[in-house]
Amino acid sequence: MFLDEPVLTKNIPGCGPLQSTWGRAEDRTVTTGKTYRDRGGYAALEKCIGMESSAIIDEVKNAILRGRGGAGFPAGMKWSFLPPEDGQPRYLAINCDEAEPGTFKDRLLVDFDPHLVLEGIAIACWACKLDHAYFFIRGEYPSQAITMQRAIDEAYEMGVFGGNGLLGKCDFKVDCTLHRGAGAYICGEETGLLEAIEGRRGWPRLKPPFPAVKGLFGRPTIVNNVETLAAVVPIMEKGAPWWQGIGVESSIGGPPSYGTKLMGVSGHVEKPGVYEAPLGVSLKCLVEDYCGGMRGGKGFKAAIAGGASMGILSTDQYEAEMDFDIGRKYDLMGLGTACPTVFDEDTDMVAVARNLSRFFKNESCGQCTPCREGAQWMFKLLSRIEAGEADSNDLDMLLELAGSMGIMPGTTICGLADGHNWAVRTVVNKFRGEFESRVRPAKTALQGVALTSSASGS
Amino acid sequence: MSWTVKPSRTQKIESRTEPYLTEEAKAKYEKDLIPRYPERRGALLPILHDLQHHERCVSHQAMVEVAQFLQITPGEVLDTVSFYEEFHVEPVGRHVVAVCQSVACEACGHAAVLDHLKDKLGIDEHETTPDGKITLLALECLGACEKAPCMLRNDELVGPLTPDQAARLVDELE
Ligand SMILES: Cc1cc2nc3c(=O)[nH]c(=O)nc-3n(C[C@H](O)[C@H](O)[C@H](O)COP(=O)(O)O)c2cc1C
Ligand code: SF4
Ligand code: FES
Repeated sequence: MFLDEPVLTKNIPGCGPLQSTWGRAEDRTVTTGKTYRDRGGYAALEKCIGMESSAIIDEVKNAILRGRGGAGFPAGMKWSFLPPEDGQPRYLAINCDEAEPGTFKDRLLVDFDPHLVLEGIAIACWACKLDHAYFFIRGEYPSQAITMQRAIDEAYEMGVFGGNGLLGKCDFKVDCTLHRGAGAYICGEETGLLEAIEGRRGWPRLKPPFPAVKGLFGRPTIVNNVETLAAVVPIMEKGAPWWQGIGVESSIGGPPSYGTKLMGVSGHVEKPGVYEAPLGVSLKCLVEDYCGGMRGGKGFKAAIAGGASMGILSTDQYEAEMDFDIGRKYDLMGLGTACPTVFDEDTDMVAVARNLSRFFKNESCGQCTPCREGAQWMFKLLSRIEAGEADSNDLDMLLELAGSMGIMPGTTICGLADGHNWAVRTVVNKFRGEFESRVRPAKTALQGVALTSSASGS
Repeated sequence: MSWTVKPSRTQKIESRTEPYLTEEAKAKYEKDLIPRYPERRGALLPILHDLQHHERCVSHQAMVEVAQFLQITPGEVLDTVSFYEEFHVEPVGRHVVAVCQSVACEACGHAAVLDHLKDKLGIDEHETTPDGKITLLALECLGACEKAPCMLRNDELVGPLTPDQAARLVDELE
């Protein structure tokens, strides 16, 4: 499956399949504010300024634009949860934390087309009547922070932000501030992100209240991913029906997966990188037609579907469709960021599980005991299995721990623990033989470890 | 491990007469940062970044000064500083080299790169060379997985690296 022409990457060459004429990645340069405008940029914003807020929100709703940050929640619906205006400030928080292992798609937009994102931000602020946008970017993107700051400055000069109102064409004035994180994955969780903007440790908040009701500095706040906001621009330019013409309907009676998606492919492929593809493209097509196949002609073994939290696709799931059905169809948590990390036949899956577990152990914020302590133990057990020092009870204990932590089992505040749970559990379940061959049979069976009743589930 | 407490009993609390937050810096923050947030505290992370950049650490004395400036308690500043991996209480080296150790980079051979750098620099990860020149870190996914195995050399994401290339890039640092 291919797109006829680039949508989100129209100013960024080299994001198409191998045989397309979308240019060469080597030719990428940052699109300046002037170039962006000369190519018709900020026209969607102008169009929106002539529209009622509700009409813009309806258009985004009709497009069924599902969040690109991981959860896939429809953006238009999220926007409509805002309470009525009360004359006090309301905020937009842009999530450019992008710390999920394997994910690097938002970086592409910031590096090469920051104004597309800024236009989306301005439209969202206008539609939802948000006064101030905080662009939260992870600390490990220092040069991207500079690029973005430069683009924000340009946008101020062009009258998009500040001054006399959006583009000088209405009374509504929006400010945009870049805010740098400082090396904590958990600040990507939407409420951890709010804490980080407020200058606190990035501890996720209990929900409800949801940010749309009580967010930044206690005020209504919309949190959206960078790519979600970028997608608002072509939707407002060409309309919801056009957007719905890209992507796929659900094959299992769920909500549809419309539109294009930036998919960052890493791991054992010939040409890793970010590609723009319609939702529903198969992983195999992505690897073979976009990335030039498996590296060195090796065989495909497995792939993390869309960021470490989502879990793993097994060898026989190579043709899985990259859309929002993927979770239910292939026993994963979901599509996540749609950035697969691909492994070839020589990969040690026990090492993969151990690496993923170490990540979640290091990044747990420590508020919830099941996540903080469970993460330590899971990492220890996996290290022991990898070293050949474990018995079969350890494997059972590992699955028991994994199954008992997260929002889904109802034991933690945020989804980081679910990510750890799914990442480890799916690798163990789908490559069970590799784990079993590394452990000794236990002398006595493990007893009394049922921490939760749901623990033995997939 | 943001929540792990580091031993503090043996920690020296340094102080100096010259302030960390100069009047000039404070005036700049007052003009450029404070108006961007509805509460003064919102400026905390940007100020800490500024200190970390210029002083290569956020010392206890600096935390007290920042607290006074933002009208919050020093404890609140410490609470935030101790959470984030990029803020260091002790100075880091003049250059920071961070090798990614997450899943795509490990699959593409990060271990050889990291081991080679450790050997060449004669230090372990999360240590600084005795001359204070280079701090070597092993971090989680840097968001540059297409460059795996990659590293962040000061402000620059570089990769894919062979161990030799990585060593050369570190050698180039002044
Ligand atoms: C542990 C954790 C980490 C997350 N990291 C990110 C991230 O780096 N970037 C992002 O956009 N969303 C991240 N999310 C999802 C956000 O909480 C939120 O759903 C998203 O930013 C909403 O934007 P969207 O609706 O436009 O996708 C994370 C969620 C969790 C639980
Ligand atoms: S689940 Fe883990 S990361 Fe999330 S709030 Fe609890 S301890 Fe923190
Ligand atoms: S895994 Fe190394 S940069 Fe993402």
